Amino acid sequence: MIAVENVSHRFETSGRQSHLALDDITLEITDGAFVSILGPSGCGKSTLLYIIGGFVKPTGGVARVQGRAITGPGPDRGPVFQEFALFPWKTVLGNVMYGPRQQRIPRAEAEVQVRRLIDMVGLKGYENFYPKELSGGMKQRVAIARTLAYNPSVLLMDEPFGALDAHTRTRLQNDLLNIWERDRKTVLFVTHAVDEAVFLSDKVIVMTRSPGRIKTIIDIDLPRPRKRAELLLDARYQNYVVAIERLIDDTGIDEAAR
Amino acid sequence: MMWLSRLLTPLAPLLACIGLLCVWQAASLALDTGSFPTALEALRAIPDILGDRGSLINILASLRRMAIGLALAVLIAIPLGLLMGRSRNVAAFFNPLLMVIYPVPKAALMPVIMLWLGVGDVSKTLVIFLGVSLPIIYHSFQGARAVEEKMLWSGAAMGMSASRRMLRIVLPAALPEILTGCRTGLVLALITMITSEMIARQSGAGNILFNAMDMAQYDTVFAMILIVGAMGIILDAAFERLRAMLVRWSDAGRAIPLSYS
Repeated sequence: MIAVENVSHRFETSGRQSHLALDDITLEITDGAFVSILGPSGCGKSTLLYIIGGFVKPTGGVARVQGRAITGPGPDRGPVFQEFALFPWKTVLGNVMYGPRQQRIPRAEAEVQVRRLIDMVGLKGYENFYPKELSGGMKQRVAIARTLAYNPSVLLMDEPFGALDAHTRTRLQNDLLNIWERDRKTVLFVTHAVDEAVFLSDKVIVMTRSPGRIKTIIDIDLPRPRKRAELLLDARYQNYVVAIERLIDDTGIDEAAR
Repeated sequence: MMWLSRLLTPLAPLLACIGLLCVWQAASLALDTGSFPTALEALRAIPDILGDRGSLINILASLRRMAIGLALAVLIAIPLGLLMGRSRNVAAFFNPLLMVIYPVPKAALMPVIMLWLGVGDVSKTLVIFLGVSLPIIYHSFQGARAVEEKMLWSGAAMGMSASRRMLRIVLPAALPEILTGCRTGLVLALITMITSEMIARQSGAGNILFNAMDMAQYDTVFAMILIVGAMGIILDAAFERLRAMLVRWSDAGRAIPLSYS
């Protein structure tokens, strides 16, 4: 379980002003849940993810994973970034091998596993390609495989499909759900796309902008495994999307009136 | 016209060299002074120099000092530059020192260094080392600073320690930039090598050049200039092939002519 207790985060802007990015966030995420954090840009949703990842230290409160306070990054929490952050000097195989090799798994043994993962994300045949030779969607597939390769129990996904075109995004959403159905890792998924959050998640956390606070947490009660074509016609899915879009619009208006 | 340009492009460097030699030849014939040999006379003097055992020993001594100076610079400047790029404190400490050293022509330090360390190999190697270090430090620094933070986070999440991230992420990620610095360093090493021998004449390619100058053997002077130029071209081309091979994974993986670097 991930527990965030009264976490606040304040940082100095370049204009030497103090900016409150996160204000008193408290939430719990149960193991195996697919949870999205949804909010307008600048609401601190990525910062919250980085705090759970241990990449950023909160200025107030504490985040815990399995009861232990988070003091830094660790292989139990695997990040996937919008920018892919692949190692450009490594081939696809080399990138995905990085984590297992870091954990001193013998090369031959790691390679069997890694090749299976590369196949699973649909990149069989691309093992010896360098990142610069891949499309955006393929790069993100490599990044997902690279993170899965060291078998974290939590996936921290920071707008992973935000830089991709609509078609590629849909395909990756489907593939991500298929992967998740297999081993049900905890997924924390930051996005600003309402339909994406509803389609993927068990729970959607809606945040307000600046300072970032939790506005509502909505349970998405839709059957799994989810099929996109069926969901799009499902009135419950449509209602979730419309209701959440209204909520977000409200936060926007709040902002403008201030 | 397409076929013409396709034919000319690979021949262009050769044509430029031949053109330069022709202009030189014509200018020399027109001026007709003893201190300006024709291109042909200079070219004819090259085999004499390269065939002479003493001259060869001198040139090899130069190259040995250059290699040692360059190697030392690479070994010290790259780690220092990378550390400066990743640590604000290290950068704050070294930056002012480097800013002071940067504009000083390294050969200008030669007399002082000679006073302390003599006219031998140590002084000259040290001057080469100083001249070469700065561009390598600077480029390593820039390269390390530009490393994408999320890349380091990804490594940290895999359980890599800070020193391991430095070695396994910052170093390879900054490599294209580092090698650009090394390329500048290589050319600077050659220049500093000759200048140091001009000041501390005892052995080396610069020694041959300036001794010939004193003895008014102008064909030898110009032949040595050609030899040094050729060494520069050969060393640079060889390094460029090595560089392109090492960073073929990056956008900098293509060969870059010197004028574009």
